[in-house]
Parts: sequence; structure tokens; C-alpha cells
Amino acid sequence: MRRTVAAFVIVTAMAGLAVAGELTGTAYGSGVTIAEPTPIATLLAKPEGFVGQKVRVDGVITGVCEKRGCWMQVTDPDTGQGVRIKVEDGVIVFPYESMGHRAAAEGTFEAVKLTPEQVAARAAAAKEAAAGVAAAAGEPCEKAGEPAVKAGCDAPVQNDTIYLIRGTGAVIQS
Amino acid sequence: MRLRRLIIATHRDVGYFFAGLTVIYAVSGVAVNHIEDWNPSYAVRTELKELGPLPEAPTEALADEVLRRLAIDEEPTSVVRMAPHQLKVFLDHRNLTVSIPGGTVADQRVRRRFALFEANFLHLNTGKGLWTWIADLYAVGLMVLACTGIFIISGKKGLGGRGRWLLLAGLAIPLAYLIWKAW
Repeated sequence: MRRTVAAFVIVTAMAGLAVAGELTGTAYGSGVTIAEPTPIATLLAKPEGFVGQKVRVDGVITGVCEKRGCWMQVTDPDTGQGVRIKVEDGVIVFPYESMGHRAAAEGTFEAVKLTPEQVAARAAAAKEAAAGVAAAAGEPCEKAGEPAVKAGCDAPVQNDTIYLIRGTGAVIQS
Repeated sequence: MRLRRLIIATHRDVGYFFAGLTVIYAVSGVAVNHIEDWNPSYAVRTELKELGPLPEAPTEALADEVLRRLAIDEEPTSVVRMAPHQLKVFLDHRNLTVSIPGGTVADQRVRRRFALFEANFLHLNTGKGLWTWIADLYAVGLMVLACTGIFIISGKKGLGGRGRWLLLAGLAIPLAYLIWKAW
């Protein structure tokens, strides 16, 4: 009986664990199925070439949607370059307290064209960031016309387009 | 008469069984309804601090200097140089966003709201899996409660009288709202 209980406890505990390469942690959504990550720098160097493709990225979580957990920013700690993983509200919920943890995430790489208002809001936020104000205050551009995209201030813009990953799964190190 | 006894017994027992979950879902429901005004799951507090000018240094050394000036004796979970002018230091339930070289720090502390975090975790089915089935069972339970509830009493206070008008009023409210908003 004790063995059965012990086995049940172990199996239950392992059910929430997932492995993505060298990363062991909690799986979200469908977890990570792609074996090899694409370096974020490679993705952002020529993003048009990856649009529509399913990719995996690895890095440190440097930002999470505060109230709904509907996106997280995964940043390569070596380059500081990051990409946003946007998921359907409520389908996957990234915990806010996972910031700073390592993560692997995958999904479809996508280009989102910004409206002129969003471009202006981001330019203003970038100006403040350069002055050291926004860097301290967090992500103010999300409150200035970003909710439709929710890609955040730190998502790189190229030709009025931001690039993000429509996430299908992730593994976050506990 | 026998059917009414069965209805009352079913309503009573299902009601007892789901009373706890109903309170949890109701509390979470109110909390989540006002998500535009507050964070129902986490208490996030950000404090701005001035450390004075910081020297240009490798990322790890810079993070050590920031922690030293803030008198924080904790090994960071990770340190990331987001940009030449920004460093992020992640600690347990706390993160520091540092402006370089100015030395302004946004010191953000995060804690789960007591009981509300757990209530929202259940209500929003964040965990998925097994809880999806339990939540479905609860939904069926609510249907049983509603359907048995309207047949508990007969006569003037039941569906033949006041109960009928209350039932119609309860249906009219969402219907009127939909007509007003959607059509």
C-alpha cells in the first residue's frame, strides 16, 4: 500500500515536469517539442525569413504580462536581445513571478504592423528610455496605445513592424 | 410528493457539496471582474531609488555593485544587460531595473495575494488538466442547483406565484443588457 502511495506521489509530481534540452522545469501549453533553439539574434537579424515558421527560443524571462500572464519576454542574456511570446488569454498563463528564470518557448514567428499612433507612442517611450526615465519606471508605452498589440516597449521595431512569437508552449525552469 | 422530496434532498446535498467552491468562485469572480483597476493575483510594489552614478563595468560586476549599494545580500536568479543603458537584476520575488550610468533603480517586489491567488488559480483554471473536469462537474452541479431550486416550493411562493416573477426578472436582466449592448 505504501509503495502504491509513494509511486502515485512520484508520478503526480513528475507529471508537471518537462524537459527541454538541458532545461528542466514546468511545462506550459504543449511544452517544447523542437529540439534545437534558434538564437534570438539570428531571428532578429533577418526576421522576414522566419515569418510563418515554427521556432523555439531559449533565454531568460525578462518581462511577463502583469495581470493576465498572456505574454512573456524571453531575452538572450549574452546579447540582451529579446522576443515576446504572446499566447491566447487564459489558454496559457505565464506566472508573473517567473521573471528571471530561464525558459524555452516555441510557437509561430509573426510580424505585426504597427499603426502610426503606436509608432509614435513607442518613439516617445524610447526617447524616455534613452533619458533613463522609462528604464526606471517600467513599460509605460503599454499604457500609451499598445494594448492592441501588447508587444511591449522592448520588442524591436523594424520598418514599423514588430516581431513576436505566437506561443504554443514553453518550459520554465523552476 | 415523492418527486418533490427527491428534489429537495438533491438540492440540499449538492448545495452542501459545492458551497465551498461557490464561495471561492464568487470571491475570485468579483476580484477578476475589476482586473482593469487592480492586479487580482499579485501585489506588485515599485519603488524608485537613486544609487548615484554607476561605473562602466562588466554585467556581473555592475550587478554586484548595485546589490552592494542597496545592501542586498542575495544571489541573483539572473542578471541581464538589456541595453547599454539598462541592467536588470532578478532576485526571488523581486527585480531591479537599473538605469546606466545614472543609477536610478526601479525596485519591484512581487508577492502573491493571500488566498486570492489560489482562488483565481482555481476559478480561471490556470492549472488546466484534472481541474478542467472538476470545474465541469461543478458547472453541472450549479445547473442541478438551479433546476431543483425552482421546484422546491409549490403554491403562492413557488413557480405558481412570486417564484415565477422572480425567475422571469432574473432572466430579463441579462436579456435586457444584451439587447442594450449587443443589438
